[in-house]
Amino acid sequence: MTTLTAPPARLAASPRRRRRFGSQGSDYARIGLWIALVVTLIIWCLPLVFIIFTSLKTEPQILGEPVFSLPTTPDFGNYAQAVQDGNLWQVGTNSLIIALIKVPVGLAISAAAAFALARIRFRRHRLVLAAIAIGSMVPIQAVIAPLFQIINGAGLLSTDIGVILPYIGFGLPYQTFILYGFFRQIPDELDESARMDGASYFRLFWQIILPLSRPALAALFILDFVATWNEYGMALVLLQDQGSWTVPLAIQGFTSQFTSSYGPINAFTIMTMLPVLIVYLLFQRYFVSGAFAGSVKG
Amino acid sequence: MTTSTPAPRRRRARRSLFLRALPFLAPALVAYVVFVIAPMVESIRLSFFSWNGFQGVPQEFVGIDNYVKIFTEDPVFWRAFGNSVIWVVLSLIFPLGISLLLAVALNRKLFGRNLFRSVFYIPGVLASIAVANMWRWIYNPNYGIGQSLGKALDLPWLADVQWLGDQNIALYSVFVAFIWQSVGTNMVLFLAGLQGVQKEHLEAARIDGANAWQVFRNVTLPALRPTMVVVTVLTFIGSIKVFDLIVGMTNGGPAQQTQVLALWSYTQSLVNHQYGTGNAIAVVLLVITFAIVIPYMAWNARQEDR
Repeated sequence: MTTLTAPPARLAASPRRRRRFGSQGSDYARIGLWIALVVTLIIWCLPLVFIIFTSLKTEPQILGEPVFSLPTTPDFGNYAQAVQDGNLWQVGTNSLIIALIKVPVGLAISAAAAFALARIRFRRHRLVLAAIAIGSMVPIQAVIAPLFQIINGAGLLSTDIGVILPYIGFGLPYQTFILYGFFRQIPDELDESARMDGASYFRLFWQIILPLSRPALAALFILDFVATWNEYGMALVLLQDQGSWTVPLAIQGFTSQFTSSYGPINAFTIMTMLPVLIVYLLFQRYFVSGAFAGSVKG
Repeated sequence: MTTSTPAPRRRRARRSLFLRALPFLAPALVAYVVFVIAPMVESIRLSFFSWNGFQGVPQEFVGIDNYVKIFTEDPVFWRAFGNSVIWVVLSLIFPLGISLLLAVALNRKLFGRNLFRSVFYIPGVLASIAVANMWRWIYNPNYGIGQSLGKALDLPWLADVQWLGDQNIALYSVFVAFIWQSVGTNMVLFLAGLQGVQKEHLEAARIDGANAWQVFRNVTLPALRPTMVVVTVLTFIGSIKVFDLIVGMTNGGPAQQTQVLALWSYTQSLVNHQYGTGNAIAVVLLVITFAIVIPYMAWNARQEDR
């Protein structure tokens, strides 16, 4: 079966690989298909194109011209205003700090648990795995009210740690499940020979299992970074002070505060999208391999 | 390994194995129990109490009153329930169908294939709340796409459409944004699944004279079955808890016509301070989710036993 071990480049499709797949059928059908795809592609780009256009127009242009008219004299005033009004640097820093703590710590905790479940295989490890994995299905809104009470009771409302801890709790079921599947595929002989040489479980984990799992860990890191950066539902409840807001809260706050400043609103939205877009473009192959893992192990 | 040792010793060995696994397992178990399991249990408990959520204010046990209330006295609950069902059903048809079509098309060698894949995937990495705000601008009744197109094509009715303000279409307008956002992710999952289709089988079917549709129906689709189950369940889980998009575009309005279970539960507990009914709705949401998910987990476990 295809898993993370497959080179991620497989999906990103090397044109060199000769494939007869679908090469039958007339050229007209192929051209027709291609045109249909191009039309779909254009439709898919339009929403982004519209908001980029809007963000580059002045207010009279926005109110007077159609959304699809080209901003003939691009105006970056909206961006400058959005950075200032939306406190972009502060919310960006908040989001970055939260993601850069949550993602590695959460991944380390999940990897350790997956190692215990996949490689030590104590009695009923499958039951423990199932109990953990089921947590990945719990809708956040189904537990958000008690979670608010827990964090509030601990005095952690509107703090980074108060949102990082629940993020870790909610992130680990999926990550543990995926890593369990990955660790299981590493041959047992490796463990046995290492144990025979007197290696502790910790060394086995740290020096053999983790280095061998680098592709899976990298994919989960990237996917989790994006998910953490984008998270809204929990942050909405747990980060009440405006000073503690993350990027998604700031987008929503910006829109409700400056209801009709369409230029700055769209400029702000675009700027908040840039970090994940850059991460996506740099690490595209990990999104694909992450999908591989997801499609096989759920 | 332990498999060759007699049973009693193996059992002892396995128990000591658990103790040795514990240091690795403990951080995850603690975080999981404190932040997922405990709130879930508390949610169930609170659904049998009447409480306004303020610490120090006593919680009053009311039995199943909250459930009776949401099922019989709360019209918004049924609106939210109905909308969640509509949302799930539509999600299982449209984004899924479109992404399957795109995956099959883009599994071929085509000029610009990687560009196609990237562009369709990109909306999936954006924050739902950002997507919601984008589309709210696009749907703006005065300056949005309807108005612009209506003027350009001289179609006054198009310019007058209240995309998010009209009770009859608001939910579907929001859903369009959801299609735009979610197609790419599913497409990549399907593309991954298509790698598992044996080329020999496709060739054999063609040599036997099967046409493109027959090949797809009889070779590709059956081979995609495991992927299909995964995508279906992920779509279900994602759509039953839809929240960000609705909050960002309509906040449940107009007149609660785009209300959904996740948002109504949140609103009752944390906005209206009705923790009892809010958590009763949360429990309904949990029960629906698990009723679908647990059979899936069983299926997945069977696959692994194989």
